[in-house]
Amino acid sequence: MKMTPALLIVGALLVFWASAFIIVGIPSLTMKETPSEIWRPLTAEEEAGHRLYVRNGCSYCHSLYIRINDWDIGAERIAKSGDYVGQEPAILGSERTGPDLSQEGGEHPDDWHLAHFVNPRFTSPISLMPSWEFLGPVEIRQLTAYVQALGLKAADARVARQRYWKTPAAAAYASGLDANVEWLHSQVPEVWRRMPNPYPASEASLQRGKRIYQEFCINCHGPVGDGKGPAFRYMNPPPLNFTTLRRHLVENRYIGGIFYYQIMNGITGTGMPYFKKHLESEKIWDLANYLGVSFVGYTDANIDPRGIDASYEEPWQNRYPQPGQEGAGTGK
Amino acid sequence: MFAFVKKPQSAALAFLIAGAVWFVVGALYGMVSAIHLVAPEFFSNIPFLVFGRERPIHVNTMLYGFTGTMLTGCGLYYLPALLRTRLYSEPLGWLSFLFWNLTVASGPLGFSFAYTQGREYNEYIWIADISLMLAVVLLIYNLVMTIVQRTEQQLYVSVWYFVAAFLWTAGNYPISNVVWHPSTGAMPGLIDSIFLWFWGHNLPGLLITPLATGAAYFVIPRITRTPLNSHTLSLAGFWFLVALYTHIGGHHVLQSPIPNWLKTVSVVDSIAMVVPVSIVVLNLWLTARQEGQRVWGDPAGRLVMGGIVWYLITCIQGPLQSLPYLQRVTHFNNWTVGHAHIAMLGFGGYIALGAMWHILPLVSGREIYSQRLVNLQFGLITFGLTAFFLVLTTAGLIQGSAWHNGETVYRVLPEIAPFMISRAASGIFILGGSLIGLYNLYLTLRQGRELQPVELLRAEEAS
Ligand code: HEC
Ligand code: HEC
Ligand code: HEM
Repeated sequence: MKMTPALLIVGALLVFWASAFIIVGIPSLTMKETPSEIWRPLTAEEEAGHRLYVRNGCSYCHSLYIRINDWDIGAERIAKSGDYVGQEPAILGSERTGPDLSQEGGEHPDDWHLAHFVNPRFTSPISLMPSWEFLGPVEIRQLTAYVQALGLKAADARVARQRYWKTPAAAAYASGLDANVEWLHSQVPEVWRRMPNPYPASEASLQRGKRIYQEFCINCHGPVGDGKGPAFRYMNPPPLNFTTLRRHLVENRYIGGIFYYQIMNGITGTGMPYFKKHLESEKIWDLANYLGVSFVGYTDANIDPRGIDASYEEPWQNRYPQPGQEGAGTGK
Repeated sequence: MFAFVKKPQSAALAFLIAGAVWFVVGALYGMVSAIHLVAPEFFSNIPFLVFGRERPIHVNTMLYGFTGTMLTGCGLYYLPALLRTRLYSEPLGWLSFLFWNLTVASGPLGFSFAYTQGREYNEYIWIADISLMLAVVLLIYNLVMTIVQRTEQQLYVSVWYFVAAFLWTAGNYPISNVVWHPSTGAMPGLIDSIFLWFWGHNLPGLLITPLATGAAYFVIPRITRTPLNSHTLSLAGFWFLVALYTHIGGHHVLQSPIPNWLKTVSVVDSIAMVVPVSIVVLNLWLTARQEGQRVWGDPAGRLVMGGIVWYLITCIQGPLQSLPYLQRVTHFNNWTVGHAHIAMLGFGGYIALGAMWHILPLVSGREIYSQRLVNLQFGLITFGLTAFFLVLTTAGLIQGSAWHNGETVYRVLPEIAPFMISRAASGIFILGGSLIGLYNLYLTLRQGRELQPVELLRAEEAS
């Protein structure tokens, strides 16, 4: 075969267009736009947020589809083609510097997003996401509306739950420090409220707790645990001031189980996120010890009721006295 | 006033210079992006330097601005040279230059202020798409007319690749950019990802690859002063490339809910890509057989041959990462970024630079100011890119395995931090290489020894 100009031009074009027909032509003819069970159209404000998402390159760090082997946020639902009907563009993304956002709606309340967009480090201290404060309040609101719609009907259910709990949480905060804590604790299931931290507050455990606190919590609850981190001014209710908890130990003894439950589960309606996906069990207990020792001056680690000590545990004596019993000895 | 546009080979030279300038611009944006992945509070809250805007500027400027522009400049020289004629019209070449570079400039000028369509590799806004299309159509016309007026009967393989690159782009670019939807440049619904990745894959595959392959086929035999190993092989490589590459865009969205038959086609053809790639690499390798000294001893030849080595690595990696089982770990993370860099900078960029240094004396009539600076550029970029590849691939494996194991994206951030620091540090070498290249190019044009017409003729005839 000899390459003549005609063969070159006609041949190259023929092969190309034949392939193009197979790869984009046939899908255009056969792929049907059938809405999935969670699909709904976007509102005008959400649509505006979608434009902002596309134009500001959120997609270079976030994907918008969940695969079968995913675990992070949204892993409850594998993406279906019907989720994207009418979206132009359905910007799937190719990199996850940040988590997938296809089910982001309702993960957090709006005030969390406000603080996060102003500066992601306010809510997520080691985040690599840029600050979007320069967009201004109107565009941040549109972006928030859009991310709250990610997941469509499934997101609507979660957003409704956030809204539902926002009212009593804000009211409790307005009713004073102590009443707020009482309300918070009244929401924690009974079994957790009387559960001491089963693990010793050893030096190593406290060190681990501190590191985790710095990577996850510090800019909300603050370096001294008073809830006055930089996110404070964006949230209602603001992050909890742990130092007041000394007055609210259950039976003047227990707090570990409450810590564990709240950290694991988050407090829907408030900026307090759940950490069960980020942190395994031992890490949460370490955090609970760290919060107790550093900010409450007391931890219920290793007190009764307790079962058989774990096999690896060092012998450890709780030397943190209950409030009001300072100087009374070992605290046992 | 505009007499310069008629000067023979002036359009080719303009493309070469613009390529070197865009390389520096792209590298600067890359540097800032890399810093932002280490320290997001560095230059924080500056709208035109926010990661989501600067990253596409970096990517597009490197693809279209550096590799694309520079390789086009090379082709505008070698195509007429191989056909023993002049470019049909220099002014038309300049017009293409203008439209092409307007599009590239719309990256830094537009994306910075959120004027972008936001679809990866299809970001340029509609009007810039049209400008690029105009450039491509004018190029095609110019090249075809040059072929028509040729005095050499045979069309050498570089000619096919160079012409075909634009023929394919003329069809591919508007389809993928959905130019019939000017405001979004997108199709509604999931099908958009198929349109998007049609070009997303063919930009490397049917624009950069043929341009770079054409340039390598031109430079290597000239440096070794041996005839091409086999014309039949190059024919096979050419037809396999277009027949297979066009089908594999789906491997970029392999785990999304696109139709299964598309996934199958994309995976099978990705693996089959081994064939055309091996053909090109073998053919060039065999051409240079016994002449390794000449190729690796020549600063420009070393860059081109280095590019072929990166091509081989890229295309061993490519089919592997298109396997669905493997992609569960390698997708969505820095592994892909590593692949993209050895492909674009390693394969496309090395060959563009090597061919540029080889061709520059022929179009400017001046000797390269400093061959040692070319060597330094090779050294800097090779160090930087090798580090990039190792660091990013490792970071990607850490991310991918951790996620696969159930760890959240946030929690893995501290694990990749040391790698992001090393990546930014290696970026300094690449940025340095781009600056030295521009400096050397500038001094060549200002101070390079002028070649005598006889020397030039001898150089041109060497092929
Ligand atoms: C440099 C990459 C980067 C860019 C660009 C980026 N993000 Fe992020 N994003 C992250 C990272 C990393 C996280 C995880 C840490 C955190 O919560 O900030 C994140 C988290 C998020 C979350 C919270 C997810 C959760 O934990 O529930 C949302 C919502 C979000 N990003 C939205 C956006 C939007 C909207 C944009 C564009 C305006 C954007 N991001 C741009 C990196 C990025
Ligand atoms: C985005 C801000 C934010 C972050 C990050 C955050 N919290 Fe909170 N936290 C809150 C808010 C808001 C509340 C509820 C305040 C209220 O309702 O008064 C809260 C409440 C709590 C409570 C409830 C205490 C009780 O007695 O019921 C605990 C425990 C807690 N946070 C621990 C943590 C830990 C540990 C981390 C890090 C792993 C963390 N928080 C991260 C905002 C945050
Ligand atoms: C045999 C050849 C090749 C195959 C089979 C191949 C395969 C792939 C695959 C599967 C991906 C997606 C990875 C992922 O997202 O998980 C990818 C990404 C990429 N490839 Fe290749 N590749 C090949 C050669 C090349 C060449 C020659 C270039 C450039 C000249 C190139 C440039 C890129 C780029 C830029 C990306 C990144 C896309 C993104 O942003 O996600 N590839 N390749």
